[in-house]
Amino acid sequence: MSQFAGLAPGPFAGLLLADHGASVIRVDRPSSSSIDVLWRGKRSLAINLKIPSGRDALRRIISQSDVLIDPFRPGVLERLGLGPNVFLNGPNEKLVYARITGFPREGKYKDLAGHDINYLAQSGVFSKMLPGPPDRPIFPLNLLADFAGGGIPCALGIILALLERSQSGRGQVVNTDMVSGLRYLSSSPLLHYFNPAGDRYSGPRGTNILDGGAPFYNVYPCKDGQWMSVGCNEPKFFKLFIDKFIESVPEGFQSTFGWTPTPATRQNRQEWPKLRQYLEEGFMTRTRNDWAKLFDGTDTCVMPVLTPEEARDLAGDEGGNGSPFPDVHPRVAFNGTDFNTPSFGGDYYLRPGKHTIEILREFGFSEQERSNLVQDQAIEIL
Amino acid sequence: MALTGVKVIEFAGLAPGPFAGLILADNGASVIRIDKPSSSSNDLLCRNKRSLAINPKVPSGLQILKKMISSADVLVDPFRPGVMERLGLGPEVFLGGNGQKGLNEKLIYARMIGFPRTGPQKSMAGHDINYLALSGILSMLPGTSDRPGFPINLLADFAGGGMSCALGIILALLDRGRTNKGQIVDADMVSGARYVSSFPLIDVQRDPPRSFGQERGHNLLDGGSPFYNVYPCKDGGHVSIGCLEPQFFKNFVELFNKSLSAEFKSAFGWIPTPETQFVLDEWPKLRQYIEKGFLTKSRDEWGKIFHETDACVVPVLKPNEASALLGSNIPVPHPTISGSDRIDTSQTTLQSGKHTKEILQEYGLGERECKILLQDGAIAKL
Repeated sequence: MSQFAGLAPGPFAGLLLADHGASVIRVDRPSSSSIDVLWRGKRSLAINLKIPSGRDALRRIISQSDVLIDPFRPGVLERLGLGPNVFLNGPNEKLVYARITGFPREGKYKDLAGHDINYLAQSGVFSKMLPGPPDRPIFPLNLLADFAGGGIPCALGIILALLERSQSGRGQVVNTDMVSGLRYLSSSPLLHYFNPAGDRYSGPRGTNILDGGAPFYNVYPCKDGQWMSVGCNEPKFFKLFIDKFIESVPEGFQSTFGWTPTPATRQNRQEWPKLRQYLEEGFMTRTRNDWAKLFDGTDTCVMPVLTPEEARDLAGDEGGNGSPFPDVHPRVAFNGTDFNTPSFGGDYYLRPGKHTIEILREFGFSEQERSNLVQDQAIEIL
Repeated sequence: MALTGVKVIEFAGLAPGPFAGLILADNGASVIRIDKPSSSSNDLLCRNKRSLAINPKVPSGLQILKKMISSADVLVDPFRPGVMERLGLGPEVFLGGNGQKGLNEKLIYARMIGFPRTGPQKSMAGHDINYLALSGILSMLPGTSDRPGFPINLLADFAGGGMSCALGIILALLDRGRTNKGQIVDADMVSGARYVSSFPLIDVQRDPPRSFGQERGHNLLDGGSPFYNVYPCKDGGHVSIGCLEPQFFKNFVELFNKSLSAEFKSAFGWIPTPETQFVLDEWPKLRQYIEKGFLTKSRDEWGKIFHETDACVVPVLKPNEASALLGSNIPVPHPTISGSDRIDTSQTTLQSGKHTKEILQEYGLGERECKILLQDGAIAKL
């Protein structure tokens, strides 16, 4: 499959497919540099689409491909003579033409530039549900729209289309936009929000169970500045947690604090501010690792917040040999055999054009044709 | 649709399992949710599913389930490791193993849990916040100066959980098309959240990092940059600004300056230029300027000013406003594969056991056999 170089979502969709065995070519511009770290398992073809013979060459490659990922604004590839109709109505009706944009393709902002934070803004999920200080919500980096609402749905759509193709023999256009993808991802909170009988998101932002409003579903700093996560929503887990917590705070803490929570405190919203304070001050009496040890092996839903390095070591990706790349997940065997995620060879980036000649050769371009492309400046020799 | 004819048995559970089942149902699969008899369900992710309430601990109930799973395409198991095995419904029963033939070697046996199946926490209870904690990404998320914030339960439960699990199932179905064999698909939310967060997790471990080299909250994408952020407006609404690229920042700063009153600008005593984007020392001033500037007009006024511009400034919509723009409160399945019918998204409740009788009849059980199940306590009512 061919995936045009672009920001986050396209590369991530490509990564997902490459991680499951697809042969992914990243189409770059010649003489460009790339800071894309999601290139594992891919190869790079650098081709100048402003040159007619470059466009022709790419058209030829796409005509022999199963999937194309188009991350550009509506109309860009059409103007280059590489739109879906060019392939689906002709040389490659089996092609899955996956288009990914930020804003909905038919909407108000369809032609505008934007980024994750803007798509988040338009989704409706940002304003009322994401936690943050009273005056504004906080965004979790660019994870929600770019990756969770973008790359993953795009890959999901591609695979569904491939499944459909195995029955129908035909490809199709699959359109993903990150506003809609994020909304779909957020189906549960949105359904709860709009449920007239519901109470999960009935309070202002930051006062509900899952958005930091509940003292028993939150993050607490410890004595050493690291954090513990507490997520004991259910009464039986809360009981286990509070019993253990009370017995673990230092002598004299209870009497100084002047109040002790009980399992029943969980249901008593009036006592939540006190409970929150109790937990805040209590967690401060030990280091994160101390707390982690105390709660290990219990059903208290209390876990240390790990740094990326610690998480990597726990995950044991690639046998714990220190690769920074999270392993593909979930792993699906193909052709009856499991596979190994390509090793991290130390290169964070894939140099644009690294595999241009190799790829052209594979697609049947003769030496003469390749040399013409060089002369036309459609490709360059590295 | 892509999954028309695919039979899914989904054991009732929290968030991720139902969401995976929903994605399959949304693409045409027939999903039966297995509930406990006499239970109630507040699962909203139930559209177009049916419910069979049956007790696998009763031998006659177990027999029925075995029979159903033997002719199903997909099973979704949301329980802690060992639960299904103890019930006599473990994967080897269906997929075979140890020289034994299975009852249904084409079955995709999907297991969806929180902590990695073979890790130290495998038998512990947990929730989204705990999985995020172990993934390494929570430690990087912005929040307040003393702790990270978490985007409700979107990242682990839904992105790294349900959606990733569904992706795995569909990949396995694709693979089955070639091999005619099923497989186990193991999904856990710690690994899933890590994978979704590949980009920041990879970057932060670079030496030096490119995008996440500063302290939490001081990077480009976590609120550290004045031009990738959220700002309150005069009326309490918010705008998102995401102009990372120089040409977009230039558009923004010029239009923003033009839109602010002369009084404001002279009172502030400083005015940003396109170059300000690259002068880190000026960022605190820039942030203040933007912060104060946005407060001089309402969100919708700013929305109008920046409409049709490539400044990456877009209003933050409330849930009902986003719904109005996109056409429905309930997020529609996304992406939609061309040629698929419009899914009816109106069903938001599924009473436990609603289709027990209908389903048992479909599996060939007569009145007498159903009565026996009732007497045995395998089902609670018909």
